[in-house]
Amino acid sequence: MTGRVRLLALLVLLSAGPAAAGGVSVVSQQGARVTRIEAGGAAGAVAVPRAPAAVAADAGGRLYLSHPDGRAVSVVSPDGGVRPLSLAAQPFGIAAEPDGSRIYVGDWSGNRVLALSADGAVLGEARTGPDPAHLVLGPPGRLYVAEREGRSVGVIDTGTMRRVGGFPVGDGPFALAYDPARGRLYVANVRSDDVTAIDTRAGRVLATVPAGASPYGIAVTPDGARVIVSDQHAAKVSVIDAQSLAVTATVPVGPYPEGVAISGGFAYVANWFSDDVSVIDLATGRETRRIPVAEGPRGLATAPDAPEASR
Amino acid sequence: MMRKTTRRTMRNLAALALILTAGTALAHGPTPQKVSQTVTIRAKPDAVWKVVGDFGGIAAWHPDVAKAEWTGGNAEGATRKVTLKSGGTLVEGLDEWKGPEHTYTYRMSDPDLTALPVSSYSATLTVTPDGDGSKVEWMGRFYRGDTGNEPPENLSDAAGREAMDRYFGDGLKGLKAQVEGGPTQ
Repeated sequence: MTGRVRLLALLVLLSAGPAAAGGVSVVSQQGARVTRIEAGGAAGAVAVPRAPAAVAADAGGRLYLSHPDGRAVSVVSPDGGVRPLSLAAQPFGIAAEPDGSRIYVGDWSGNRVLALSADGAVLGEARTGPDPAHLVLGPPGRLYVAEREGRSVGVIDTGTMRRVGGFPVGDGPFALAYDPARGRLYVANVRSDDVTAIDTRAGRVLATVPAGASPYGIAVTPDGARVIVSDQHAAKVSVIDAQSLAVTATVPVGPYPEGVAISGGFAYVANWFSDDVSVIDLATGRETRRIPVAEGPRGLATAPDAPEASR
Repeated sequence: MMRKTTRRTMRNLAALALILTAGTALAHGPTPQKVSQTVTIRAKPDAVWKVVGDFGGIAAWHPDVAKAEWTGGNAEGATRKVTLKSGGTLVEGLDEWKGPEHTYTYRMSDPDLTALPVSSYSATLTVTPDGDGSKVEWMGRFYRGDTGNEPPENLSDAAGREAMDRYFGDGLKGLKAQVEGGPTQ
């Protein structure tokens, strides 16, 4: 971690708002809330505009939410203030530059990704394959988009906002995780029930890993050693070893698990059906508790100030 | 009568429009909805599972089902093609079947808006002990028929919820009647 990020982390810590110090933020779609949680439990909630779906965080602790049914994106500041940005699109996947200077938003029914300024002005747009789902930032200047009905992941150059390439993946790619240490992209394919591992530096697919029933959410540990995937139709998560690229363990969680985030040695899994979040101790591979949240939790974002924060 | 006809025409038109927009109907929309129905039955879980446990045996207990064609047994990847009495066909694939635990999970393969006004769903049916009898829970996750920003009323979240609640609720009522020996409809 650089000194600047460390300083920023300290500042966020000192500001002690709803988004302070470690843990993760969970977005509940039906409940229209963002709940701040830590390994020990919920630490506060913020009401947000209707039906938020996906969430991204920047290094300053701001959260970016997509509202596919509301034609909007909203920005939640660390002090809990909410700023809606309207958008002529069906926003779903979302990512933000660490400094908050740009927001990237997938337009689900428009087959494009928009680049927005911090105040919501459209700076550019890149055409994508059909039904862009989740987005993740890769190395500087690269954004990846899961093209759900294209069996592909699009590679977008954020400088020119053009789709400059793509990777063939499984059927129904939905969620993405990027491991900056290895330059690896992991893609959860909902319909083919597997995870595609891509070496983005070599520009090739490394492996297709069978991973439970309907893998819907995915996160990689900060050291890049393990990938945690939620199996939506089997109420569990699968743990993939990054070295062998095989599932080495499964952990039962709540019904219809979706988003996964990792912070401070714990994996957090949003149980969409039971309105709670499973906390898994990554050292023991066991679920330690379930934290109740507002109805319909789907997306999670890791707090940026945790030293082991991952995207 | 006239109103009914108009509504049906509108529904058909909306379905047609959706088919014509190609792809949208297959899309897995961004706002999932819950469905959950339960019933208690005066019989042991084993006895209930004997009726409800076979993935392809749904026509034997679901009063809305005309027939079901079934391939692959109860193995993962098995399929059932369920024809409803009201028209329309649900093609479903088995994700997981756990006989000893009395539960199975499946998902829709292709949408048929004339069968149910939803674009995709997955569901789990589970039988558990409840006192001297059983409790059957049938729950799932689905997306409305039109996953675009402004769905027509008949393909909205509310329309999907109503149809799914009714389909699951009817099924469990039929199952209860079948197992307890009462009238099936």
